[in-house]
Amino acid sequence: MYRYYDAPFKIVKDGISLTLEQEGERLLYRSVYADKRVEKILLADRGKVLINPIEPLNKPRELTSYLLIEFERTLVVEPGSTKSIFVTYPIEIGVFIAGSNQFELIDILTLAKQKFTLYGDPRSGVICKYWKSEVYSSIPAVNPLHEGIIELSITNTTTGWVEVTKAIFNAYGMKIYYNDNLVSMRATMKIMSGRSAETDFVDAPLEEGMKKSLELYTVRRLPVVAPKFVMEVGI
Amino acid sequence: MTLEIVVYESVTLFDLLMVTLILIIAGIIAKGVALNLRKVLRDKVSKEHLEILAKTIYYSIIGIAVLSVLPILGVPPSGLLVAGGIAGIVIGFASKSVVGNLISGLFLMIERPMKLGDAVNIAGTAGVVEDIHIISTTLRTFDGLYVRIPNEKVFTSDIMDYVAHVARRLEYIIGIRYSDDADKAIGIIRKLSEEHPLTLKHPAGDIFVDNLGDNAVNIMVRIWVPSPEWYGVKKELLWKIKTALEAEGIEIAFPQRTIWFANELTSRGSAHNLPDSDSS
Repeated sequence: MYRYYDAPFKIVKDGISLTLEQEGERLLYRSVYADKRVEKILLADRGKVLINPIEPLNKPRELTSYLLIEFERTLVVEPGSTKSIFVTYPIEIGVFIAGSNQFELIDILTLAKQKFTLYGDPRSGVICKYWKSEVYSSIPAVNPLHEGIIELSITNTTTGWVEVTKAIFNAYGMKIYYNDNLVSMRATMKIMSGRSAETDFVDAPLEEGMKKSLELYTVRRLPVVAPKFVMEVGI
Repeated sequence: MTLEIVVYESVTLFDLLMVTLILIIAGIIAKGVALNLRKVLRDKVSKEHLEILAKTIYYSIIGIAVLSVLPILGVPPSGLLVAGGIAGIVIGFASKSVVGNLISGLFLMIERPMKLGDAVNIAGTAGVVEDIHIISTTLRTFDGLYVRIPNEKVFTSDIMDYVAHVARRLEYIIGIRYSDDADKAIGIIRKLSEEHPLTLKHPAGDIFVDNLGDNAVNIMVRIWVPSPEWYGVKKELLWKIKTALEAEGIEIAFPQRTIWFANELTSRGSAHNLPDSDSS
């Protein structure tokens, strides 16, 4: 599903219906999924549309740029070691209209469950998009329209064993890659103490031949904030 | 020539025109720079920081222009300190409230108890902060009225900022009948809360039987939501709770009183009008 499309086209998959029809000199875009319906008239010469996964922080509302993934099972990390795990994250699909070397977002869809949480206390904490994931030792088979995979490389720089129950990522650093079967990101987590860690992203695909997604958080605005996230009140 | 007419001391009419022109040009430049700054940085810097930056640059340009024209008017900048000291005392007495507001405005900008766009309640006036000027603060009340509050009043009043913290708790008391299952009702409300995308996973909601009231078993519902979404969720969730409870046969209790009579009652209808079952 993730690729360029020329108008007219119709995609029906996993309960999502996307159409772009020529209506005289204008284009009619329509998306229907779950109980949501969007219709837009595009006044464009060319009907070239890009559909790709985007940072999962826009639905139901853009309240935060942080994604918190809580692990189903607690990880206990050996001191001084670096280990990789795989976790899932919710997928949001961005529909962009392409023209004159510019892309404009016209729609965002998601089939994933939406939930938010608070990291820290109400005064100094941050609101995060919430997702709960099982921890895998290899790439799990998931539906790329529903879930993506993050390969998380965890480095314990401390001298003691550390328990990790969650990871928080900043959308401004996300580097999403996709192919027909997989949507992925690669991230790192550097444990600095029993309660703090720093997360970042690696700009590399999980498998060879994957395409890079158009990043919404750099298309819409320049990143004036650091793409890393420092978890200071518990990991 | 007319322009060489001396207005006072060595200051001529030409000097005054020059000063006026410089100040007008400075004003235009300051406005232009501030306007362009707002345009360029609109998507990159928060509205509040952008406003402070634009105002600082605007007043800096005006200030520099004023200082630069003082020598033309025969006022050396060094003499301004002495004159300023005396003038300050005079102006201070003459315009106590204005200076008070000004100082309060400066302190408000330093302390920053609220941000532009915050929903606040200042001295009983609730609304959204539209602007924090040097003399006054303007609010747009929730019913759309423009309210200007002098900064001195803002500074000395209690300020309640509804969105200063990222999360806020909403609270309902749901009264169900004594004949209903309170555990079941709590389960229904908890499920609704967990399924709502805008209620927070952590801190977890707190739902419990709070008290046994005169007419109802009162269930306390406490749920945390992101502050900007508090009002919308509060409106939406209450009705969903009510309909979900009713769908499961649990009803919201209303005031009722059971009255016991010492003697058995007979109604006029039952005494005279009811058909006799034996006669049919």
